[in-house]
Amino acid sequence: MAEERPAKWGLVVDLDRCTGCNACIAACSMENNVPFVGEDEVAYGRALYWIRTQRYWEGEYPAVTPTFQPVMCQQCGNAPCEPVCPVYASVHSEEEQINLAVYNRCVGTRYCANNCPYFARVFNWFDYELPEPMRSYLNPDVTVRRRGVMEKCTFCVQRIVRGRQKARAEGRELRDGEIQPACVQACPAEALVFGDLSDPESRVSQLARSQRRYHLLEELGTLPRVTYLKGVGNHGG
Amino acid sequence: MSEKITRRDFLKLTAMGAAATAVMTGCGPMSRYVVRRPYTQMPEYNQTGESTYYASTCRECPAGCGILVRTREGRALTIEGNPNHPVNRGRLCARGLTAQQGLYNPDRVRGPRFQGRGKPTSPPRDLTWEEAVQVVGSALQKPPERIAFLLGLVPDHLFDLVSELTQALGAPPPLRYGALAALDGRTTLLEATRRLFDTPALPYFDLAQAEVTLAFGADFLQAWLSPVTYTRAYGNMRQGNPRRRGELIVFEPRQSLTAGNADRWVPIAPGSEAHVALALGGRVAELRGLPVPEAFRAVSLEEAARVSGIPAAQLEDLAVTFATAERPLALVGGSALTQPNGLVTAQAVLALNALVNNLGQPGGVFLTPAEATPAPLTAVSDLVRRMQAGEIEVLFIHGVNPLFELPAALGFAAALENVPLVISFAPFPDETALQSDYIFPDHSALESFGYQRSLAGADRPAWSASQPVVVPLYNTRATVDVLLAAAQAIGRALPYRDEVDFIQQKILPLLNAGGFYTAPEILTFWSRWLQYGGWWTPAAGLPAPRSPRLPASFGTLTPPPAPAEGQFYLLTYTNHLGDGSGANRPWLQELPDAMTTVTWNTWVEIHPTTAEHLGLKDDDVVRITTPYGAVEASVYRYPAIRPDTIAIPFGQGHTALGRWAEGRGCNPAQILPAATNPAGDPAFIGTTATLMPTGRRRPLARVESKDGVYGEH
Repeated sequence: MAEERPAKWGLVVDLDRCTGCNACIAACSMENNVPFVGEDEVAYGRALYWIRTQRYWEGEYPAVTPTFQPVMCQQCGNAPCEPVCPVYASVHSEEEQINLAVYNRCVGTRYCANNCPYFARVFNWFDYELPEPMRSYLNPDVTVRRRGVMEKCTFCVQRIVRGRQKARAEGRELRDGEIQPACVQACPAEALVFGDLSDPESRVSQLARSQRRYHLLEELGTLPRVTYLKGVGNHGG
Repeated sequence: MSEKITRRDFLKLTAMGAAATAVMTGCGPMSRYVVRRPYTQMPEYNQTGESTYYASTCRECPAGCGILVRTREGRALTIEGNPNHPVNRGRLCARGLTAQQGLYNPDRVRGPRFQGRGKPTSPPRDLTWEEAVQVVGSALQKPPERIAFLLGLVPDHLFDLVSELTQALGAPPPLRYGALAALDGRTTLLEATRRLFDTPALPYFDLAQAEVTLAFGADFLQAWLSPVTYTRAYGNMRQGNPRRRGELIVFEPRQSLTAGNADRWVPIAPGSEAHVALALGGRVAELRGLPVPEAFRAVSLEEAARVSGIPAAQLEDLAVTFATAERPLALVGGSALTQPNGLVTAQAVLALNALVNNLGQPGGVFLTPAEATPAPLTAVSDLVRRMQAGEIEVLFIHGVNPLFELPAALGFAAALENVPLVISFAPFPDETALQSDYIFPDHSALESFGYQRSLAGADRPAWSASQPVVVPLYNTRATVDVLLAAAQAIGRALPYRDEVDFIQQKILPLLNAGGFYTAPEILTFWSRWLQYGGWWTPAAGLPAPRSPRLPASFGTLTPPPAPAEGQFYLLTYTNHLGDGSGANRPWLQELPDAMTTVTWNTWVEIHPTTAEHLGLKDDDVVRITTPYGAVEASVYRYPAIRPDTIAIPFGQGHTALGRWAEGRGCNPAQILPAATNPAGDPAFIGTTATLMPTGRRRPLARVESKDGVYGEH
């Protein structure tokens, strides 16, 4: 069996490809059993999007244009959410080296969300019932969270685990692009690329070295694993 | 075959993921219906804890994307794109990704029933399928010219069967209508290609390889012919072309998602697209040193500038950009077609492509080979007239919700009263189903066999296959089977045993059509058909349009009406809720609208300066009145719309369709005209409306900002 080297999972978001269509949100929500909260709760800012598209308007009519930026947990190497959790519910996993939420430890202090500079964490303010038979589509690989628990993007850790187990069972190394979180798999514009940053030849590594790269709030020193590629324009945009 | 395979071998075979169905089918006549039992009666091939994937076709819109549905213990979990499928190449949009919420929707119609049009005097009651078949059978025995079928845009196999059935009975052919096709302007595109290229076909635009693209009205990133295909092509146009980054210029009165992603958005006056296309065409011909075709002489650059409100210098700049580009492409659709000048616009833009010689070239225009069959709105009007006149005795409705999707001004609701027998096959209790005499629910999309053969996004000849991924949840029955049984019961049997037999006979010609697989006989072919989720050719390739015969004139031009004082141009457009059938998927409701980030409701988009002028703020409820009716919606101050234009998204405002759809927002179809353009598509653009504050406020659930939520409301 091949020797396994630890992977350093990373995501690249190419903003020049991204159209802001929000398919990533739908894919993420269906994969990760994210409940819908209804109109009133969305209005109160309690929607449970693990990934959201930040849309800002730039310019004045008629040269006005929206900018779209999908934002999910940045999987910080130096995560501000971790040291503030009193119950170690926000931790780095040893095997995947990504930041995970341990739902059964979480007591709902919400310190982590307050300390997250990216607003990546969302809180279950209520239990959100799914009427029968809608529970049939819940993904058995992902825990269903209850009221009082913080949750966030996990890079679809269940897919990482499944992919790694499959490769192990077949006695081979993981192939580049074999593991895709739900958002990456769905993205119709192919704006999202996921892979192992420790492999310099992987597609994600190559893109992350692009001249267009930047990190969100880089100056905070959070060492995000998500790299954005700046959108470019033909007219100096 | 089945005796020779041990259980262990069998499990190995099924472990090949998507290949599982190939193993399950084709073993003999008994396995024609792939049986997928729930957890409690687990079949042997279903291993606990192991996922099985089934290839099928998305039916949330007519694009026909290939999907792989992950099932476990007999339940459909997640929907993924089929990586081999020529339409979507493994990608999916929000509508396809949430289709499970249709399958497991708690508000589905769970069995055949007498609906009694919702009248208290005839309360609904459940029926058996035997009674249902009898009802359908006696309905088919009515005088054939008094039978009408109104079908939706999906699925194609049902349309093919009903076409054969009506032919056998001597009844008029079925009509296919859908708000999506109407708002796309599909009939106009078909008529324009027929006039220019002698072939009525939906065009395929090779956006991925184009270097400068002019788009007139087509919101190809969110709606239109095949949103996933074109979004993928858009991504490759931007970053996939090693030569240069493609440039996109969009002409639209209101910035759609496509215009929002454009390099230049040109806020053109609604109804002046034809003028601009003609003027640009004339100038492009001059710049490329060609004789200016007669048809393009109709409008000068100055006149186009005056009508459209775009400065002449900007038009000149755009003409130069287009004429000198290496691979120029011009697209047309949507709001540029659904207007009185729509057919002229369609021809002018397609001919613009001919002027720059991109027909059949990389980055150019192709024609899709499959026959596309949407009926124009004029055909629906004609049906409504016959219904009104009492000439229709029985109306069958499948896959379309005319009471919601058709402009109310058409008078469908009143005409329906004059039809003695209305039979709906809707799987959901939508507006039309509730006003029917009977509902004989079809299976939902993920429980159905079928095919789509009209794939506007495929870069090659292709058919897309549907198969059930779970056992039907309720006492529903495939409409094809109901019609076949009813035809047989009245002695007019068609030569098909059941739905599967019908599909197998229809795909028989594909055995020798040069696909990427074939088989010596249909059962083996069928198993591969199900395994791969369809059939297509190994290499990309679409027919190129022949060089067009340009007429002396593309048609008469109507100048757009200037709105009177206090009047605004009214636009409607589709977002991720599509034709409104997506409104009962709670995650689609919860999904922020891409441009406004509003969820769960309808809004009316008003330019901020206009709103200020009228004293309107965000969330103020206004009454929007046209000559055809009035609706109310909350104001959203939208910076990317012409100040003389307002826009309302399509899809909300349901009075039926279940708990998540009902009583939410308003339906713009209530205030749109029944007017049509010369190709028969609706002429919505040019409608003017007035705005009247109601003095009430209804906060919109926006994701973009929490301002105001904690404050004043």
